Amino acid sequence: MKINFNLNGSDVELEISPEQTLLSLLRDKLGLFGAKQGCDVGECGTCSVLINDELRKSCLMLAVQVEGCRVVTIEGVSSPQGEPNDLQQAFLDHGSVQCGFCTPGMVLAGEAILKETLTPTRTQIREGIAGNLCRCTGYQQIVDAIEDTAQQRRTAVEEK
Amino acid sequence: MSEFTYLDKPAQRVDGLDKVLGTAKFVGDIKLAGMLYTAILRSPLPHANILHLDVSPALKVPGVVAVITAEDFVDHGNFGWPVKDAYVLAWKKVRHVGDPIAAVAAETEAAALEGMQAIQFELEKLPVVSDMQHALDADAPLVPLEAPLGQGNLVNTHLVRNGNPDPIIAACVNKFEKTYHFSHQEHAYIETEGTLAIPGPDGSLTIYSNDQSPFITRDNVMMVLGLPQEKVRIIQPAVGGSFGGKDDINYQHTAMVGALALKTKKPVRILLSRKESLIASYKREAMDITIRLGADENGYLQAAKVDLLADSGAYASMTPLASWRATMHAAGCYRYQAVHVDAKSVYTNNSYSGAFRGFGNTEAAAAIEQAIDDFANQLGEDPIDFRLKNIVRNNGEKLMTGNLLQQEVGLAECIEWVRERSGWDEKRAKYNNQSGDIRRGIGIACYMHGSSLGGEGADYATTTLRIEADNTILVTSGLTDYGQGSRTVFALVAAETLGLNYDRFKVGCTDTTTSVESGPTVASRSTMLGGNATKVTSQKLLQVLNFAAADLLNCEPAQIVRDGELFIGPDEEPVPFEKIVEHAREMNLTLYVEGKWEMPKFEWDFEKGEGTPYICYTFGAQIAEVETDLITGETKVIGIWAAHDSGTVIFKQGADGQMYGGIGQGLGYAMMEEMKYDQGFPANINFRQYLIPTALDMPEMDIKFVQVSFETGPYGAKNMAEPTMIAIAPAIANALYQATHQRHNVIPLTVERLATGIEPVRKASPSRIRKGLGLK
Ligand code: FES
Ligand code: FES
Repeated sequence: MKINFNLNGSDVELEISPEQTLLSLLRDKLGLFGAKQGCDVGECGTCSVLINDELRKSCLMLAVQVEGCRVVTIEGVSSPQGEPNDLQQAFLDHGSVQCGFCTPGMVLAGEAILKETLTPTRTQIREGIAGNLCRCTGYQQIVDAIEDTAQQRRTAVEEK
Repeated sequence: MSEFTYLDKPAQRVDGLDKVLGTAKFVGDIKLAGMLYTAILRSPLPHANILHLDVSPALKVPGVVAVITAEDFVDHGNFGWPVKDAYVLAWKKVRHVGDPIAAVAAETEAAALEGMQAIQFELEKLPVVSDMQHALDADAPLVPLEAPLGQGNLVNTHLVRNGNPDPIIAACVNKFEKTYHFSHQEHAYIETEGTLAIPGPDGSLTIYSNDQSPFITRDNVMMVLGLPQEKVRIIQPAVGGSFGGKDDINYQHTAMVGALALKTKKPVRILLSRKESLIASYKREAMDITIRLGADENGYLQAAKVDLLADSGAYASMTPLASWRATMHAAGCYRYQAVHVDAKSVYTNNSYSGAFRGFGNTEAAAAIEQAIDDFANQLGEDPIDFRLKNIVRNNGEKLMTGNLLQQEVGLAECIEWVRERSGWDEKRAKYNNQSGDIRRGIGIACYMHGSSLGGEGADYATTTLRIEADNTILVTSGLTDYGQGSRTVFALVAAETLGLNYDRFKVGCTDTTTSVESGPTVASRSTMLGGNATKVTSQKLLQVLNFAAADLLNCEPAQIVRDGELFIGPDEEPVPFEKIVEHAREMNLTLYVEGKWEMPKFEWDFEKGEGTPYICYTFGAQIAEVETDLITGETKVIGIWAAHDSGTVIFKQGADGQMYGGIGQGLGYAMMEEMKYDQGFPANINFRQYLIPTALDMPEMDIKFVQVSFETGPYGAKNMAEPTMIAIAPAIANALYQATHQRHNVIPLTVERLATGIEPVRKASPSRIRKGLGLK
């Protein structure tokens, strides 16, 4: 069957099988390997993507469910030239990356928080990333990076 | 402390950009044309004889290309060090749930699974050894094929003989004795195990494996496949965490994909599902530790006796070494007149145990630090005052193992810092007088941790540096980076030593054909060993550059001075690095150097239990504050303060991250992480049953590095990755003791244990396990 959706800013039409998960569509068919398969059953968050600005686990979604939606994967966060965006840069500056396996999902979880509010408390940030497991960092520097980016984006908005 | 240009300053990790962009390639992200997928037949039983195994039905399944068993390997794929008791694929019997029996390669994942399910096999159930306390009983069934020491399920023993504690303890007015229990812990790296083998036209193999020690992987592949060294190349791609956990199981997987790739002449990949990984991978060993202490009437410790029993599970793996490290730390960072430690590891059918961050000291420190707290409480002393009275403080002081400290010690400073920052004195007093169901507590634990391998093996590392055509500098090391940041440490040390911009350095993935063997990447040894090797290598390269500069500037190399990247001779004309390199090339100088660094020698006598186990130690102290509900057991850690005597910090954000991350794993170990075995069947086979901390479980952490410089380390650095995790579990247990006045003597302190005080019964589901392993 065919589906139409917006993927990282471009409209796409794709042939899929009805039982295919969104994660499998991204990785196996589209070669977008940024979303990882840490568990395939909704327990780790490494497969996170944004669907209409909301954080979703792509291993738990069927590809058909994104019909007509806006889907953003980690590949759609950086500039087309591969420059990290402000949040990704903040991850680098704050040492929020260790092994990096959770990082794409974490960046998207951060984006989902920041789409909702630019004044998140640290607890709100922790709630926002609670579905994304990280075994390396103890989360503190990830929270720092998201908090710092919120501050920067707030300043940018205020300056306008 | 001298000022550094690059060390201990904000720096971006060398492999960070790819990772934030999502472009870093992990094994599961590599797909090749014609690549075959695998499914592994794994034992659904904890202990059984293999009566019958017929893989031919699998070969009839469409899409299946090849199947292998133990018969496809030299000596049936027998491997393992220090005890050679394991097999790539089970031979004669299976010894734990998840033990691999056969591997199928097929064109699709579905065909591989179907092929695996078609294999005909018959297992004859054997009695199971499920309780390590009974593994050495006269009637206990034998787990290994042969008893390695001729004493049934005994894997190894270790001892410390420092004086004679018995008469001293007997004469002490204050005595203490208690046993503490520790459960198995799963590494729970977020990326599961993966390996990919690519066959070459000449019968060679290139294998990508997300392991820790590619050179050991290579040697194993050579051994079990009977290949010469030049035919096996192991490359480590990005690795999604390991923490000690991706060695032995990947030795098996690399051999399997290697054999299958040679057989099929196609690339072959193994990638475990989370369930398979949880069921089949090795764990942190469970331990029972009994501690006896004696102190004089003023509360000064006099002697200690410790007995330690470790559950090695089905194979020895690294348990003999981890239990050695536990033995060397069992009485902790305190002054004693005499100490004896006796340790045993035994085989059981509870999965198998191997390396895991902390490597035995996680358990040992958690035992002695709870004991010290209990003893302080028994004596009516403040736990910090009691510790400050008894800790080792000075160069030349005798450690529990009987050797003398040969370094400065920052432990007291660590303790004072966490005491002050946490508001210990006030909180401690306040929480001593509470009522109601919601209670708070604050607890402390300290540690010492021997650096690097010590008596565990030869300690050396080699770094290479090469100036590339574009004047960047490629650094390689035989020590790997599976997330800890060691590559960044090497680049920073090279930048500092050469006086060249950090941006110039690129650090390659470890590759057994381009990097130089450097021993295993374990024991938090990368900074000291790899850092020193990088420093030595950089100094060599600097000599070459200075030689070229001197030639260009018509002076002696010693006359060259530097201003950043500029080389300046007597006539004071600054010449940029690029010009020097250009001239060096004109002179036909080799712009590639190798440098090796070896640890100074010292000896531990394993038979006598005496000597020097480690060249140096790191120290630290951590405080945890908890809030707990006496009725429901629900507990939250609300604050953590941690200070680590790390020597010089090289990579600041990396060091912070090691500390935060280590504490995260320690908090999980303390509160929720427990791999339970029910007659050898694992009770936790997914992340709903095996919980690890989320961002909401972690409190804000306040950390500090007490930088007591260590001469032998590169720029005074010691090590980091492991010790940061080991104090938090006992600190939490001690905080809970203050809050509840109950000591459960078990780690982890799960909600059920706290609520009921009763050992929870955890049932495993053999049928779910079968399903999790893909069996029908
Ligand atoms: S892979 Fe989707 S939540 Fe783990
Ligand atoms: S950085 Fe390794 S899992 Fe998060």
